[in-house]
Amino acid sequence: MEKERKIKVLIAKPGLDGHDRGAKVLSFGLRDQGMEVIYTGRRQSAEQIVNSALQEDVDVVGLSILSGAHLTFFPKVVNLLRENDAGDMLVIGGGIIPDEHIPILKEKGVTEIFGPGTLIKDIGDFIRKNVRKIA
Amino acid sequence: MDNKDKLAEIKEKKEEWEEKALLPAAKRFGIEKRPTEFHTPLDIPDFDFLRDVGFPGQYPLTAASYPVNLVPRLEKGAKPGGLRRAGTYSGYGTPEDTRDYYRLMAKLMYTGGPNLALDLPTQCGYDSDNEIVEGEIGKVGVAVDTLRDFEVIFEAFTGNLDLDKIATNMTINAPANILVAMYVALAEKRGISLAKLKGTPQNDILKEFISRGTYIFPPRPSMRMFRDSLVFFTESLPAMNINGFGGAHIREGGATREQELAFTMANGIAYLQEGINAGLNIDAFAPRFSFVGFGGSMEFFKEIAFHRASRRMWAKILKERFGAKKSESMRIRSQYTAYSGISTTTKQRALNNLTRSVIGAVAGVLSGGPPLAFPPYDEPLGLGWSLEARQLAEDATRILMYETGMCDVLDPLAGSYYVESLTNEIEEAAWKELEKVEGIGGSVAAIENGYMQRSIAKSAAERQSRIEKREDIIVGVNCFTEEYELDVTTSKMVEHPYSEEKRYDAEKKQKANLAEVKRTRNNREVTRLLGELERAAKKDDENLMPLFVNLAREYATLQEQCDVLRGVFGEWQMDSFV
Repeated sequence: MEKERKIKVLIAKPGLDGHDRGAKVLSFGLRDQGMEVIYTGRRQSAEQIVNSALQEDVDVVGLSILSGAHLTFFPKVVNLLRENDAGDMLVIGGGIIPDEHIPILKEKGVTEIFGPGTLIKDIGDFIRKNVRKIA
Repeated sequence: MDNKDKLAEIKEKKEEWEEKALLPAAKRFGIEKRPTEFHTPLDIPDFDFLRDVGFPGQYPLTAASYPVNLVPRLEKGAKPGGLRRAGTYSGYGTPEDTRDYYRLMAKLMYTGGPNLALDLPTQCGYDSDNEIVEGEIGKVGVAVDTLRDFEVIFEAFTGNLDLDKIATNMTINAPANILVAMYVALAEKRGISLAKLKGTPQNDILKEFISRGTYIFPPRPSMRMFRDSLVFFTESLPAMNINGFGGAHIREGGATREQELAFTMANGIAYLQEGINAGLNIDAFAPRFSFVGFGGSMEFFKEIAFHRASRRMWAKILKERFGAKKSESMRIRSQYTAYSGISTTTKQRALNNLTRSVIGAVAGVLSGGPPLAFPPYDEPLGLGWSLEARQLAEDATRILMYETGMCDVLDPLAGSYYVESLTNEIEEAAWKELEKVEGIGGSVAAIENGYMQRSIAKSAAERQSRIEKREDIIVGVNCFTEEYELDVTTSKMVEHPYSEEKRYDAEKKQKANLAEVKRTRNNREVTRLLGELERAAKKDDENLMPLFVNLAREYATLQEQCDVLRGVFGEWQMDSFV
C-alpha cells in the first residue's frame, strides 16, 4: 500500500514585520506532529509567498503578522492562490489580529485565525480536519 | 567558632531537618519530587558584601545603578500634578496625526518629549511611495520620509517643550543615523544648539539581527554605521545617549534568561569596541550608553536576581576588560529594571495582565529600580493601548510608589541567601554562554553564522513545548480554562485618540505629503549629495553623519539614502534558521 503523504505546510511572514517567534515555534511544532513544514523567513511579498506555495505544492499556507498589515496581506495571498488555481490550499493566519478583523478576514477566504496563546496541538488538529484531500 | 565550623554545623542541621521534617512533610503533601526550597548560608559560603554587592551606585553595582531610587518624591501636602509618565511609546499614521496625538497627550499632562514609534517602512529604510510597503504605512508607528515629517511632528513640541527642553526617544535602529540627522537639521533650523539636544535613538542593530528583525545592511557595515553615530555623538551631541540597547527584545524572541544576558553583554562589548577602535577613551563615551530594557518574565525572584547579575556583569566588563575608571561608565542606565514582559501577557482573560504587570513592578522595586507596571493589560488585544488600560497601569505603578513604602529602600534582598545565590548562578551561566559567543568571534560572527538566532528559536520552541505539556502553567491559557471560569472585561468608555478613519487615510495622505516634498525641493542638490554619500560610504574610515545632516537639510528621503547604502553595503538576507 502506498504510504500516506505528509501534510505539507508553508509558514510565511508577509511584509516587514520581524516578530518571527510564533512562526518559528509553529514550524517546529507542526513538524513534531509529523507534517512537512517550510518556513519562508521574513519580509516576503504576497507574490513570493504564493510562488513558494505553488512551487512546493503545499496543502496549507500559514501567515503570521503582528504589525497590523493583515487586512492587506492575507486577502492578497488568498486571491493570488485562487488566480493560480490553488484556491483549495488551506489558508490560516495568526498574530496580533483584533477580534473585529477576524470576520472580515474569514469572509475574504482565510479559513481560521489563531491568536496568541493558541496551542500548536489545536492548530494541528484544525489542519488535519480541514486540509484538502491528499492524493 | 569560625565561619567554616559554623557552615559545617549548618550543614549537619540541614541534613537532619531534611530527613526529619522536610521529607515527611513533602511526602504527606505529595510534593516529594519537587519540595519547597529553603536557602541557608551554605548557598553563599564565600559571600563578601563589598566584593559581591557594594553600595548602591558603586562598583560592582549589584545593589542598584544609582545611590537613590529614581522615584519622584511627593512633597507633603502637595498636589501631584504633572506626575504622569511622559514619553509613552507612540506614533500613528501621518506626521500630522502624530503631532495632533501628542498635542492631545500634552493636555492630559503627558508632557515630556516623545517616545517615537516609527512605522515599519521607516524602520526598514523604505519610503511611503514604494509599492512594496503598501498596507504598512503609518501602522505600528508614524511614517517618516523626510525632514518635512519631523518638522510637522515636532510642531507639538515648541515653547516650554522645545527641543532644548525635552528628550526625544526614537525606536530606530538600522537607519538611526539618518533619523538623528533629521533631528539635528530640525534643531539647526530652530536655532537650537546641538549641545542641548537630549534623547535616545535605540540604535541597537545587533539585536535586530538576533530577534526583532528591522535590519537593512549586513552586520559589519551596520556596525560601521554604529561607530559613525558613536563618534559623532561624542563629539557633537554630548547630551544625547548613543543608544538604548538591551536584551528585552532578545528575551521576547524566545531567549532564556541566561542567553539574553550573555547575548546582550556580547552586543555591548561589540558596541564598546567600536568606540575603542575609533580611538576614543572608554570613559568619554561609555557613560552615554543607555539601556532600553532587560528581562521580562513572571519568574519573580529570578528576574530580581537577573537584574542584580546584569548590573554586576556589565560593571565587571567595563572595569576589568575596558579599563573604565568612572563609575558612570560602568552602570546600566535604564529607566526601569525588572518587569513582567510582553510575551507573558495573554489574550485570554486579558485583565489578568494587570495582575501580571503588578508582579513585575514589585520585582522592579526589589531589584533596585522604580516600579513599572507594564505593559497595559490590553497589549495582546490589538494595536494601541486603550486609555483605560494605560490609566490602570499607571495607577498600579503609583500605588506601589506612594502607598506601599516599597521605594523607601534599595535592594532590600541584598544578603538573602536565596537571592544572592540565584544572582551568582545566573551570572555564572551567562559568562559561560558569553564565552561561547566569544569563541565564535563575538556577536557579529555569532550572528553571521546564525548561532544566536538558532539558540533563541530553540529556546522558544522548548518553552512552547513545556506550555503544551502543561509543565509551564499560564492561567486562563493552558490551565483553569473550564467553562465555569469567567472572562472578566471592562467596557471601553474613552475613545482612543487615533481613529479608524485616520488609520485608513494615512497611507494616501502620506504619499501626497512625500510627492509634494519631491516636487518642491532642490532635486539637483539632492542628487549631488547622494553621489557624495556613495563615494564616502565606500571609504570605511569616513564618518557619514555630517553628510546625512546635509542630505536631511535638502529633504532627501530616507529610502534615497538607504538605497545608496544598500548599493555599497549590500542587504542582509540570511534569515530562516528553522
